[in-house]
Amino acid sequence: MGRQVCCISAGYSEHASKRSDVSMPELINEAIQDCLKKVPSVCLDDIDAFANGNMPAFEGINIPELWMTDWMGARCKPLMRVTTGGTTGGTVAICGYYSVAAGIPGIDTVLAIAFEQQSQGDTSLGLASVALGEISILNTLGITYDQLNRLLSAGAAIGVAAYQATTYMSKARITEEDLARVVVQERRNAAKTWWAHLKMPNLTIEDVLDTPYVQYPLRFGMVCPASDGACAMLFTTEEKAKEWADIPVYINGVASVANESAVLGYNGSGSAQLDPSTQLGAMRSAELAYSQAGISFPRKEIDYAELYGPFPNQTLMWSEKLGLFEETTAPKMWEAGVTDLNGELPINCSGGVNATNAIGASAMERPAEAALQIMGKASNQVPKTVHTSIGHGWGGSLNLCTLMVMADQPKRKWR
Amino acid sequence: MSEKKTYQKTEKKALEYVKKDYIKTRTLPGAWYLSSYTYKFDITHMQPFLKKLKDKKLIGNRCSGCNRIFFPPRLVCGQCLVKPDRWVDIRETANVATYAIAYLKNPDTGEVEEKPMVLVQHDGSNTCCIAQMAPNINVKDMYINMPLKVHWKGERTGGLMDIEYYDVIEDASKDLSSKKE
Repeated sequence: MGRQVCCISAGYSEHASKRSDVSMPELINEAIQDCLKKVPSVCLDDIDAFANGNMPAFEGINIPELWMTDWMGARCKPLMRVTTGGTTGGTVAICGYYSVAAGIPGIDTVLAIAFEQQSQGDTSLGLASVALGEISILNTLGITYDQLNRLLSAGAAIGVAAYQATTYMSKARITEEDLARVVVQERRNAAKTWWAHLKMPNLTIEDVLDTPYVQYPLRFGMVCPASDGACAMLFTTEEKAKEWADIPVYINGVASVANESAVLGYNGSGSAQLDPSTQLGAMRSAELAYSQAGISFPRKEIDYAELYGPFPNQTLMWSEKLGLFEETTAPKMWEAGVTDLNGELPINCSGGVNATNAIGASAMERPAEAALQIMGKASNQVPKTVHTSIGHGWGGSLNLCTLMVMADQPKRKWR
Repeated sequence: MSEKKTYQKTEKKALEYVKKDYIKTRTLPGAWYLSSYTYKFDITHMQPFLKKLKDKKLIGNRCSGCNRIFFPPRLVCGQCLVKPDRWVDIRETANVATYAIAYLKNPDTGEVEEKPMVLVQHDGSNTCCIAQMAPNINVKDMYINMPLKVHWKGERTGGLMDIEYYDVIEDASKDLSSKKE
């Protein structure tokens, strides 16, 4: 059994579509400064090790951590890098958690950093470099590139998520209005968050439905932006956390689960998931993380949730798959205001991925925001006291999920 | 005198350049050629399937561990890590597993066209694959579980494009199935 791990602080850099005023290392430095500002008793010497990660293909810069060691303060200290695509942030946070939990002598405090500066490179080219290996086999099997282009067309994440949206919409029997409602709530929340990207305080459902389609169920107004930004989280042991922080956030459960790929099967074969909105990986990750944290009734015990929903149908879907609502009832909860800032179960009060999406960082911004809500230091703070919260991440070919369960009390010994 | 002037000019230019770039980081253009990469595949498991396509026949393979039937055939089952080794005949009829509509510009006319993109599940198989719909289909009439049938190409060469597209066939249970709203 590993040590009990606590998160004592989290910080962000400012997010925008083009942060051309800073280079990538300076961007990270902003997030670290903000993170260390919140715990004045911690200085750089107290940090024993570093974990970092981003999606290098999206920027075209390989091994960036060698370039920015000085800017992280990681000189002559253990440094580890993790990259798992869309869930990079979540995995880096989990990596930080494990480094502390392992109980390695001399490593008590770990700073985890996730970042992305998408304006430097071409994201769709980066995605193509990932997908080309799978797609080019179809060419050898008799489909011309010209035809392939039409088959996969708009491609990137939207092309994949559109499939998911259609199945979810037909399953839950909802219209585009229900999707737009989620977007409006998230972007209005983002307006109250200092680091968020798309701040739209006066957005209405009609405004969203006026925009043209990107791909059938998803309109331009519903799709996440591409941002530049970084996020940092500070993990430490229970004893040190009590000494340094007013309210240490105990990390009680982590999980990272992958299912079979959902849209393209490998080597040109068919994909085994018939319905991309089934998401067995998410359900399994929830099961694992909740059992570690001793949560038996997620609907009652969780007070705040940050979900990785770049598209509104996904925010709805994850809330069901992670056990927060029953199947196909999520749209009604959004309509009834259960998930508002003042609601019973606030979801994505930072604006979520729909308003800010720096791909490598955004899966870490979820647990970071969930931790800050427990500490009471979030910029769009929930009025009620948050005892237990979750931060979720999603990536891969619709199949990889990370989850982090946090509370203001340590793990229960029995269940 | 003339030397001094040029010196002043260059200095000014340099200052302007710095001022202009002060709020911006300096950028250098770069290129990344994806076509320079090579990928290797094992497609031996595909050969019997491609041969049968010439004779207007569809086959998939079955995993002996979980009894799932893969169409198009697969090298290794993702659940059991077993090589699917039994060949099974698969019918020509299929269902729409899920779909999306893309809006693409026609390079010749410049008009935006609605293009359905579908994942199709063949009757008798447990997987779905990317497919093309008939060119004359009305996009607004599409729904999930819509029945389809294979439209074969006239001259077949033993490639995936031997299935030219899928025709829509009459749905006996149209009122029962969930229609797109």
